[in-house]
Amino acid sequence: MSIIQIESLKKTYRETEVEVHAVNGIDLSFEAGEFAAIVGPSGSGKTTLLNLIGGLDSPTEGKIVINNTNISNLSASQIIDFRLWNIGFVFQAYNLIPVLTAKENVEFIMHLQGRKKQEREQRTKDLLTSVGLGNRLNSRPSQLSGGQQQRVAVARALASKPKFVLADEPTANLDSKSTENLLDIMEKLNREENITFIFSTHDARVVKKAHRVITIEDGKVVSDERK
Amino acid sequence: MNLRIAWRNIWRNKKRSLITISSVVLAVVLATFTRSFQEGTYELMIENAIGKFSGYVQVHQKDYWEDKSLDNGMELSDSLIRTILSTQNVEGVNIRIESFSLASNKNNTKGTLVMGIEPKKEDSLIDLSNKIIKGAYFNKHDKGILIGSKLAQYLELDVGDSLVLMGQGHWGNTAVGIFPVKGIVKMPAPNIDRQIVFMPLKTAQEYFSFPNGATSLVIKFKDADLTQKICNRLNSRLDTTQYKAMSWQKMSPEMLQQIQSDRISGIMMLNILYMIIAFGIFGTVLMMTEERKREFAMMIAIGMQKTKLAIITLYEALIMNSLGIIIGIGLSIPLVVYYHYYPIEMSGEMAKSIEKFGMEPVLPTMISFKIILKQALTVLIITIVAAAYPLWSILKLNVIKGLRR
Repeated sequence: MSIIQIESLKKTYRETEVEVHAVNGIDLSFEAGEFAAIVGPSGSGKTTLLNLIGGLDSPTEGKIVINNTNISNLSASQIIDFRLWNIGFVFQAYNLIPVLTAKENVEFIMHLQGRKKQEREQRTKDLLTSVGLGNRLNSRPSQLSGGQQQRVAVARALASKPKFVLADEPTANLDSKSTENLLDIMEKLNREENITFIFSTHDARVVKKAHRVITIEDGKVVSDERK
Repeated sequence: MNLRIAWRNIWRNKKRSLITISSVVLAVVLATFTRSFQEGTYELMIENAIGKFSGYVQVHQKDYWEDKSLDNGMELSDSLIRTILSTQNVEGVNIRIESFSLASNKNNTKGTLVMGIEPKKEDSLIDLSNKIIKGAYFNKHDKGILIGSKLAQYLELDVGDSLVLMGQGHWGNTAVGIFPVKGIVKMPAPNIDRQIVFMPLKTAQEYFSFPNGATSLVIKFKDADLTQKICNRLNSRLDTTQYKAMSWQKMSPEMLQQIQSDRISGIMMLNILYMIIAFGIFGTVLMMTEERKREFAMMIAIGMQKTKLAIITLYEALIMNSLGIIIGIGLSIPLVVYYHYYPIEMSGEMAKSIEKFGMEPVLPTMISFKIILKQALTVLIITIVAAAYPLWSILKLNVIKGLRR
């Protein structure tokens, strides 16, 4: 059963007099438990596609239906709530809250959901332990390496119990060892807990691990391979 | 969690936050100090010229104030005094008779204000016996007079000397008399000190040929803030075809105007100070917002409502500025209290020019919690207005653009 259904999706930007078709008619669907990579050269439209799926941007044409909800029909406030309860985000630059510890960063999203303190604390501990940071709960982002920060970001993305996680070039700023480590963690979570991951990436190591590789060029899907 | 984030955000850049808090402290202290000095000066001026001289409310014969002639004076009656004394909040009445006369000694002559007073009662109002710098205070049977120190200096008079007074009495009678100087008083308001001659009421009534006459009845009460109320009460109880109660604001409109215009210029200066401070705070807030737009965008992306984020930013501004305001109030209070009891004493040309305006050349502060609270609230409002920019900025933030920063 597909959790994301994308139909005739278009996103056009108007820069001065020129129209840029960042996404130019994409039809795709994602099933629960997928570990998919969206690849393509710079400017091909993969980040735009991810932003549209994540409800961070709105399409010019077409629709995105997530769990039977057409997210284009949601108001600005509703879409924020929808993201909170349905989508986990991992960004290229980690984007943790610098004034909060690893534990607080993970807990923060559950706080936004209004979850009880006890549940928050237990889940935070479990998630940080599962990403190998059970001993760095009270470290601030500035006290962690890039790889460790990205692992905290993965734990944070999972904290809200989302339907899927969108990761925009999550390994772009990491060294080989950290990349390997992060991919292993995400693959394990996907395998063992059936969490859906959708990446946009340039990284061959991510492509190698992915179970499905969607290639985009000029805003269009040029190949969609399942391994 | 929101408060924790706000608190930690304040201290992520300690130096900047400390500078912001210091500017708020400075704003509160400067604003409070300036206003306290300004109001303190007015308070002293009113106290010297009104509270401790003319009184806050007087009752006159109906036309006296328009034409201050003894002929417009009043015949005293028991019923009049009883009506006044039975008015709510009125604690006493001082009877005065006053008019201008020429005073001469040796080759010097000067116009003076001769004021007949009830020595004992008047002493409790204007504390005259404590203002004696030479000689002694008089009693109601005395024929001697008290004169202002500056007048004594001008006329080259000393205690024991005699002063010749000549003026117009009641119904065209000539008022002439020689009076021994019993004491020299230093009046705090220099313009009064230059021209005042006090004599016991009975002696003055005889001098002015107006036995049982008076020109004004000074109404005594405790709270100066009740001035207008008492004035209205008296006018509603007295026969207004014959008598009229007047507040000091009506009797000394020029002083009121002087205070009001001075107050406006002071407030304008204060507004300039507020504007400088507002821009300073706004600059800090602007920097804080701009450098955190990516962070704001990320928080919205992961599911934080913009309004909640705006509340965190508002908390930051409120915590930081409240800290500044509390410290500012804490520093202002001892300063204001100190300068109230130990006012700045002016000297040289500055003192002379202040004296020319009939004011005592000292700058005291006024102890008023209202002033402190008002300044603190004004600064708080300024800081909230300055915080409006980040709030607006958050509500308008484009998440994609913010994440790209």
